[in-house]
Amino acid sequence: MPHIVCFGNPLHGDDGFGAAVYTRLSETPLPDGWRVFDAGTSGLNALWLFRDCGEAIIVDSLAPGAEPGRLRELTAGDVLAEAAPVGHGGGVGYLLQALQAMPEPPPRVRIVAVESADVSAFRPGLSAPVAAAVAPAVALIRSYIGAGDD
Amino acid sequence: MARVELNVNLNRVEGDLELALSLEDGVVVEARTVGTLYRGFEQILVGRSPRDALVLTPRVCGICGTAHLYTAVLALEHAWRVPVPANATRIRNVCLIAEGIQNDLRQTFLFFAPDFRNARYRDRPWFAAAEAEFAPFSGRVHRETLAITRRVVEVVAHFGGQWPHSSYMVPGGVTSPADARRLLACRTIFAEVREWYERIVIGAPLDEWLALDSAAGYFEWLERPAHAASALGLVSRCARDLGLQRMAAGTPHMISFGAWCDPANWDAPHSARLMPGGFYDGDTGCIAELDQALINEHVRHSWFRPYSGGRHPWQGETIPDYQPGSDRYTWAKAPRYADKVVQTGPLAELLIGGDALIADLYATEGGNAWLRQFARVRRIAYELVQAERHLHELAEHLGEPHIVNPAKNAEIDGEGYGLIMAARGALGHWLRIRDGVIEKYQIVTPTAWNASPRDSAGLPGHWEQSLVGLSVADPDDPVEIGHVIRSHDPCLVCTVHMLETGKRWRFLP
Repeated sequence: MPHIVCFGNPLHGDDGFGAAVYTRLSETPLPDGWRVFDAGTSGLNALWLFRDCGEAIIVDSLAPGAEPGRLRELTAGDVLAEAAPVGHGGGVGYLLQALQAMPEPPPRVRIVAVESADVSAFRPGLSAPVAAAVAPAVALIRSYIGAGDD
Repeated sequence: MARVELNVNLNRVEGDLELALSLEDGVVVEARTVGTLYRGFEQILVGRSPRDALVLTPRVCGICGTAHLYTAVLALEHAWRVPVPANATRIRNVCLIAEGIQNDLRQTFLFFAPDFRNARYRDRPWFAAAEAEFAPFSGRVHRETLAITRRVVEVVAHFGGQWPHSSYMVPGGVTSPADARRLLACRTIFAEVREWYERIVIGAPLDEWLALDSAAGYFEWLERPAHAASALGLVSRCARDLGLQRMAAGTPHMISFGAWCDPANWDAPHSARLMPGGFYDGDTGCIAELDQALINEHVRHSWFRPYSGGRHPWQGETIPDYQPGSDRYTWAKAPRYADKVVQTGPLAELLIGGDALIADLYATEGGNAWLRQFARVRRIAYELVQAERHLHELAEHLGEPHIVNPAKNAEIDGEGYGLIMAARGALGHWLRIRDGVIEKYQIVTPTAWNASPRDSAGLPGHWEQSLVGLSVADPDDPVEIGHVIRSHDPCLVCTVHMLETGKRWRFLP
């Protein structure tokens, strides 16, 4: 079963990108079988969302980059594990490595990510360039899953 | 957020805990636990419907949401004097056990044990074994722990629909009964966990392991090939070779609220536990009956509006008052029991609860980093036994109610508290209801006990005490700090800062 798993914290500036994409995706029908999840800040707890999942699209924000709002399409191999993976929360890099270590075959993973402008703790709201990237990200994901335009 | 090739960081925005340490000649002479994140649930709950606590408080933590839910519902039931059917308590206990096993296995084999792969230990005789078993994602035990801990929390999903952050416990019971399908599913899961625990973690049948009742017996057992080759046996050999059994005693006083509400005797005053709680007085070695009225919280060194001395949670307040540049240094309060600094966790739970092996190990070597971690793994055996017992009892009483909804006029104004042994130790919620809404809500978490700052008398908290005297061989790689802090199962991602001669080292666990 294919899943779209959106990560992020809408209280922390552009880290809320995944949640914004989730909201848009959940407002319109998806093709049969596709399910969309708001994983929030889950680390290892999100392992459950990849169970019995042959194909997954992960949505997340990247640390501030040269071109805020630029969408990047990555694979699991592009995302390195965090240098310090340990902690109850973990991170998406840790999670991706954990998926590879599960007994069952890992899902095919695509990552849709945006370069952030500003990730600040407890400052809700996306920056203008990242907010503008939400609709293109949704369109990109819908094209991946054969959903057409919303 | 994660790190990608372009030096982008994919870590989540967090970093809730720091330790500020002072060293002299490589020895920690002073430690301060700095909680860098204000929690705020106490304010969020004020003015809300009492039942909102069942939805909000499980969000305090993504690891122990079931424990917070359980504690919140007990506090409401205590305030409203609501009876609870035995089957509801059985289901609650089963779910709490699943969450606890998840935590204890991850804490031990994903977070604590990988430190034994530190490059400094390369010449130790057990290093290759530690690499083979505990290396992240490639070590056998590491990989299998990932799989088994994902599996065990399915138990909570069967009754609560999801894990974490579920809200299926309500005053008077739980929302879903135990039917044959759920019982079969949960039995299967716990059977898988037990088989894995016996084969991989302890290398012995559960009964044989639980029958061990002396330090000498365990040390003899540790030499047996099956246990020596097991995951816990390897942890013990590594830890003891490094001297963790002589490290980081901290305060000798301990507190446990008692494990697992007794389904058959869960009525006022709501204190019957299957494993007894209490206060272990480290000065006398005596265990006293727990009196929650003796719990208080100090804010003398915390960023809250000042008040003098300590206050019981029903009289306490949580009004943030950030005071940078002062001698206040944390968003954590300082909980005390009868104004004594105490520690809590599996070691306290089993020592106070009467486990003979833990009691003898404590009598032989005192509190230490290895024993804290050892107790965490041993507790799983009790949890598995209790889970099987509860599931058996549920099957025997399948037709009995899982909830008795309280009458609307039962939801009265008043005060209540809930006390639970969560994975990390004693968790308490206290609330006061006035005019039908929450007037006051106070949460004292296990980590608040352990990671508390100094109190009104200047007494450092348990972690702060346990770190003083610790030798750090290489401040650029202070793995000793990692052993000590992780033996306490810190609740949040922990970043240790060591301050010495103006240079700042950052240690990421």
